[in-house]
Amino acid sequence: MTPTVSASGLSLHYGRTRALDDVSLRLTPGVTGLLGPNGAGKTTLLRVLATAVPADRGAFTVLGHDPGTSRGRQEVRRRLGYLPQTPGFHPDFTAFEFVDYVAILKELADRRERHREVRRVLEEVDLGDVRGRRIKKLSGGMRQRVALAAALVGDPGFLVLDEPTVGLDPEQRMRFRELIAEAGEGRTVLLSTHQTEDVAMLCHRVIVMAAGAVRFDGTPAELTARAAGRVWSSTEKDPGAKAGWRTGTGSFRNVGDPPPGAEPAAPTLEDGYLLVLDDAGTEVAA
Amino acid sequence: MSAVAVEESAPVQTPLHDRGARAVLALARFEARRLLLSIPVVIAFVAYVAWIVWRTRDSWDGNPVLQDADRATQSMPMLVGLAVLLCAARAVVRSERHGTEPHFATLVLQPWRRTAAHALSVVPAALLTAVCVAGQFGWEALKPGAVGHGSPAELAVGPLTVLAFGTLGVLLGRLTMSAFAAPLLVVVLLFVFVLGTGPSEASGLSWLAPAVPVIGPDSLPSDLLGRPAAWHALYLAGAALCIAFLAMAVAGGRGAFVRAGLALSLAAAVTGGVLQARGVTPSPELTAAREHASTDPDLTCAEHGGSTYCALPEWAPRTGAWAEVVDRVQAVAGGSAHDRPLVVRQRIDARYGPGTDASIPASTEPHRVTVGTAWGGNRVPEFSSAVAAVLVAGTEAAGSELCDGRMVTVMWLSLSWQDDPMDALRRVRLDDSVTGSAIVLSPTDPLSMTEGQTDVVRRLLENPPAGTGARVKKHWAELTAPGVTTARVAELLGVPGPKKADSCED
Repeated sequence: MTPTVSASGLSLHYGRTRALDDVSLRLTPGVTGLLGPNGAGKTTLLRVLATAVPADRGAFTVLGHDPGTSRGRQEVRRRLGYLPQTPGFHPDFTAFEFVDYVAILKELADRRERHREVRRVLEEVDLGDVRGRRIKKLSGGMRQRVALAAALVGDPGFLVLDEPTVGLDPEQRMRFRELIAEAGEGRTVLLSTHQTEDVAMLCHRVIVMAAGAVRFDGTPAELTARAAGRVWSSTEKDPGAKAGWRTGTGSFRNVGDPPPGAEPAAPTLEDGYLLVLDDAGTEVAA
Repeated sequence: MSAVAVEESAPVQTPLHDRGARAVLALARFEARRLLLSIPVVIAFVAYVAWIVWRTRDSWDGNPVLQDADRATQSMPMLVGLAVLLCAARAVVRSERHGTEPHFATLVLQPWRRTAAHALSVVPAALLTAVCVAGQFGWEALKPGAVGHGSPAELAVGPLTVLAFGTLGVLLGRLTMSAFAAPLLVVVLLFVFVLGTGPSEASGLSWLAPAVPVIGPDSLPSDLLGRPAAWHALYLAGAALCIAFLAMAVAGGRGAFVRAGLALSLAAAVTGGVLQARGVTPSPELTAAREHASTDPDLTCAEHGGSTYCALPEWAPRTGAWAEVVDRVQAVAGGSAHDRPLVVRQRIDARYGPGTDASIPASTEPHRVTVGTAWGGNRVPEFSSAVAAVLVAGTEAAGSELCDGRMVTVMWLSLSWQDDPMDALRRVRLDDSVTGSAIVLSPTDPLSMTEGQTDVVRRLLENPPAGTGARVKKHWAELTAPGVTTARVAELLGVPGPKKADSCED
């Protein structure tokens, strides 16, 4: 079976900083979560896969097309939807105009078909009623949905979402999760996020990055399983724990290597994530 | 790192995409709509249309010469061009200003194609300008008094100016990626256009400017203009395209299409520029033709009443209007002047080309009247005065030397039949006065009125013309006798004479 995205040995340096270090991965349809601390290389990886910047070394294909060539890069872009970490907007455009503009840049030239497609994606992200409103008059959550609509327009086979839920309130975030879940039906979505709940709720697969390299690649359950037997409760914070914090019940939840006789607790995906980072030598703060 | 086993096959997408060129056209249409609806462009077009209505309603006193009217369409499109330049540049830098460029850079349509779309987006503004130019020129051409021929190349200058300014805005935006560069350039260009005193039309350098709409007081036949209008249109079109292709190249377009387009448009601009500069100097053939037209022109003659009217071929339709004036003047004249056959000949001084204010000497041929190429407005009482002077004095040259009471007769013949004789008196005098001495304009050498003659003429024009007309016919011989005094003329015509003896030296 052919993966949607297949990358091997991707490396990229910014001066002396190693932003990507020999990253290899294969992405298949469904939502794949990309977790990692700030500076882990998540955005760089997404920008490379979105053909915004070329890698120094390594290669990848999207739906069988190699972006290393000019023609291949165009073919990749024809199949790509990209929501950048901080999407820009043309404030004087209406939501419809902005998505329409992006659709044209995606070579959707036929006016009637394009407008139908723009209306479809705006309906999909629940902006059908405000499509004629100028972007400068939309809320932050609405703007983020405009950006998602722009990414979805043209029905791309590969969708790259860079921290789409940052800055959204819980209700908006829930709505966004629904949209991403819908978007992941029948296409490959790579979702970069700091929110482990997003990954737990949405993703069939999760990749953890640290210091430019992939540290974990598996299912959310497998990541959670990493913490099996390594989470325990105590009345005081355990000094031997990698991370520990007081919970709402007043007891402490510790992650790390439990002392003998510790009271085990059910692990979560976040616990697994913290331990992967710890194993990678990344400082874990909790 | 690990690779995950493929769980299911990737779906094959069936995209709605269409390709390159059609997307460029779609984007051009999108940008053109925004450009045409942008406030500066809307204001510029509203001002342009208002100017056309204001200007064309009374231009050339309703008697346009179309080989001049075409050039009159060239100035105002520069205002539209500046607005288009401003807005096109703003559109180009929009994605940079609002931080969408990193995102758009990952989309299919490459920056150079987007730049091509921006360049194409100014075409509708140029076409709309062409509609305005056609409207302005068409309005002139449909006026009953219109004569001559317009030049398509001259008419193309306005739209091409808008096109060139628009593509310049695109290039400027691409080069600077700054929102401030275009307004700065617009201010500089406004300064140059409003205050600048560039080289004269006779200099090849002046033709590097978008429009060279030099229009003199007297029109010339279209074949004697000697303006390199076609080469200038080629220069402008080449420059506009060259700038557009340069902008595409700056945006990363390195393909054969851009390189070939750049080379061809540059060749067109250079060819047009060089040949228009060479065309500024009249060829020997043109110089000879201008000399011939100035001294012994080929005229088309027609009979109206008993008089003969000879006009340059393009002015032939105007002989009827001249005849009407001659008939009106002769109708109020007495003696043999009432039905004396006159020869009205059109004369020009084309030796110095268009835009010069050459004077034509008075004719010494008996009963011959000169008429120029302009008509309507003040030109009518001026011609009327020349006709009256010839009827009274015999020749134009003698008329221009009148220095006695006959001048009263001349001016009454010239003005009494007009709709508003007093207004005609004011308009025919150089200083627009109705009192005191003054120069009276005519197609050739001017006439002159003393203060006393002016007073008598004014009194006569305040009376009903019928009564005075009868006296004129009755006393024609004495009124037109050399040496008759102004006081005697006033007495014969029944109005008070001048308060003091007047003299031509006043």
